[in-house]
Amino acid sequence: MEEEETYLELYLDRCAAQDALVPPRSPVLSPAVPYDVYIPNLSNPETTFNSQLEEVTETSGNFSSVDLSFLPDELTQESKDQTVIRSKHEIEENCKTQSRQSRLPLPSQQDIGLALNSSSGSNSHSHLHTGDADSAQPSPEKPYSLPLASITPMTPMTPVSECSGIVPQLQNIVSTVNLACKLDLKKIALHAKNAEYNPKRFAAVIMRIREPRTTALIFSSGKMVCTGAKSEEQSRLAARKYARVVQKLGFPARFLDFKIQNMVGSCDVRFPIRLEGLVLTHQQFSSYEPELFPGLIYRMVKPRIVLLIFVSGKVVLTGAKERSDIYEAFENIYPILKGFKKT
Amino acid sequence: MPGGGRCPGCGSSELVEDSHYSQSQLVCSDCGCVVTEGVLTTTFTDEGNLREVTYSRSTGKNEQVSRSQQRGLCRVRDLCRVLQLPPAFEDTAVAYYQQAYQHSGIRAARLQKKEVLVGCCVLITCRQRNWPLTMGTICTLLYADLDVFSGTYMQMVKLLGLDVPSLCLVDLVKTYCSSFKLFEASPSVPAKYVEDKDKMLSRTLQLVELADETWLVTGRHPLPVITAATFLAWQSLRPSDRLPCSLARFCKLANVDLPYPASSRLQELLAVLLRMAEQLAWLQVLKLDKRSVVKHIGDLLQHRHTLVRKAFRDGTAEMDTQEKELQGQEQGQGQGQGPSEEDVGSSPSDLPAGKRPASPALLLPPCMLKPPKRVCPTPPVSTVTGDENISDSEIEQYLRTPQEVRDFQRAQAAGQAAMNVPNPP
Repeated sequence: MEEEETYLELYLDRCAAQDALVPPRSPVLSPAVPYDVYIPNLSNPETTFNSQLEEVTETSGNFSSVDLSFLPDELTQESKDQTVIRSKHEIEENCKTQSRQSRLPLPSQQDIGLALNSSSGSNSHSHLHTGDADSAQPSPEKPYSLPLASITPMTPMTPVSECSGIVPQLQNIVSTVNLACKLDLKKIALHAKNAEYNPKRFAAVIMRIREPRTTALIFSSGKMVCTGAKSEEQSRLAARKYARVVQKLGFPARFLDFKIQNMVGSCDVRFPIRLEGLVLTHQQFSSYEPELFPGLIYRMVKPRIVLLIFVSGKVVLTGAKERSDIYEAFENIYPILKGFKKT
Repeated sequence: MPGGGRCPGCGSSELVEDSHYSQSQLVCSDCGCVVTEGVLTTTFTDEGNLREVTYSRSTGKNEQVSRSQQRGLCRVRDLCRVLQLPPAFEDTAVAYYQQAYQHSGIRAARLQKKEVLVGCCVLITCRQRNWPLTMGTICTLLYADLDVFSGTYMQMVKLLGLDVPSLCLVDLVKTYCSSFKLFEASPSVPAKYVEDKDKMLSRTLQLVELADETWLVTGRHPLPVITAATFLAWQSLRPSDRLPCSLARFCKLANVDLPYPASSRLQELLAVLLRMAEQLAWLQVLKLDKRSVVKHIGDLLQHRHTLVRKAFRDGTAEMDTQEKELQGQEQGQGQGQGPSEEDVGSSPSDLPAGKRPASPALLLPPCMLKPPKRVCPTPPVSTVTGDENISDSEIEQYLRTPQEVRDFQRAQAAGQAAMNVPNPP
């Protein structure tokens, strides 16, 4: 029990830190969309305390009877509800990928945007176990213990059958921002080491920074496109750094209308897919031309995402403006793909 | 050959635009009768031949249609005739062209694109009627780039909201195989290489079906697979004489282009056949290799369904058991699923005792069987918020010092001067 308490304190410290930084994004996740976290193995000692729970069994325990007196005061009042409800969310027990690896928490912003799926009756009272990084000892007969460290974010309550256990990884984010001042591209190319400018080839300066590793196209009108980031926050940070570089070069650059224009994600379903079959059953959405491109192009209507599905089971999702669109699209396509698994 | 014209002399529709000095004429290529002549004579029938007529005699039929569109429609009909398509296809293709032309994006497109659009219309018509026409053929006929063709094709399908069925593999095999010039002896084709068309066709179809079942066709261009299958079928029908002949030589004497991926498809198909051969008791003792297995293709194809089932275990089932295995380990319970699965799969009862075929291979596409070229490291979790402070030193690392700026300018100027130096006399 002491072990659990230290874990809880560590976790709550993190929560307190996260709460201080309110993300600009609004909660976008809909309760109806089930998704899960599939986080590959990483031997980071810091994260082991967040390792995933291996198994969840249902109990009839009532959360209201839980003793939360050990929680620090500010949490007991304000986020007690949030903590309790958040602790209700966990990964479904039958996701086969779950047990294999220790989990990592996703970036903190996702925590806060959670739509609480308290409406779903199933699994509303679940028994959470703390798990060690390597092995889980499920003991259903254990009395109810408080959910602790391994609360991975963004796991609304969903029935087990809808879970795919795979989370698409974001590979690229394209964003635009308006620096709101006319720029002298020749001067920028002269004074900045990381810039290239070839007016005959393209009418913009191509600038690169190392951290986060991104590329920006800076136009003389003051508009800028930033590509290559792996998350929305990184894209915003990178865009700010470019704006600072331009500022330091003597232009009155501002940072207006930052907008994510496109997000690209990819994942692997781990089984081969009969593309010819898929194009037959989903003709109105799919386009499969092996003479032109080895993958099947699936244009999903809701959410409006384009998926490239390959025979090896790898899926690329693009066209999203929000991270949740990608997750939702993948959860929509996964049952369809599973239908083509046994050939 | 413009549409709709018939020679009044012999009734043939083979009218050719020919010019006599500076006067353009429409001449029948069968009987030589001059159907229309330039501006010297214009009659009502001239309009039907798409010739210019005086306003008072014109019917206005072509008025709504722009000249560029008229030309395009002509090209569509021409292409249909060159490909010797059934007459009904022509009208459908023309209708598609007219439909596409109603969109402003197409109307304003470059001539190159309009040219390619002609091919797209014909292709879509053929696909919808299960006529096996490949994009490669059309691109060759139109002298078009496949990239340009693909862009226009995808745009057109999207714009018109069309449902284009996939290329029918069986029909393609029949058409493509028939084009191989191996069915009668000629100076270039010795007697031992001549083959009966039906036998070769049926065997090729079986091989292509086998390739499709073993994941060699999905995601790949269909034609190289068919080339490889045709070659194997031809070789296996008379292996003693034909084994020394290579794939390239085969295509040359059959007067067919050898597509580049065909040799790797051939290797993949042979590997599949070898795996199947391992399941047949009387072939096991022979220790076959890629050349000797060709002699037994007939037998292998006869029992192909059973052999594929025995030689390959379902790749997806294997993955499920693997995962269950790991789950079992995690939960501290040893589950011997993995080894037992192997045993079940690889011990058919009709084998002599002590002699077992190789353990079943995974039935997966070749891209999944190859080890990954590079292991993509999972990105570390970043706790970036986007609002961090950006230190001055970090930004300054990207800026040039004044000295560096001067050096750079000097270097640029020197480079420019070097370029502008005139050649020495």
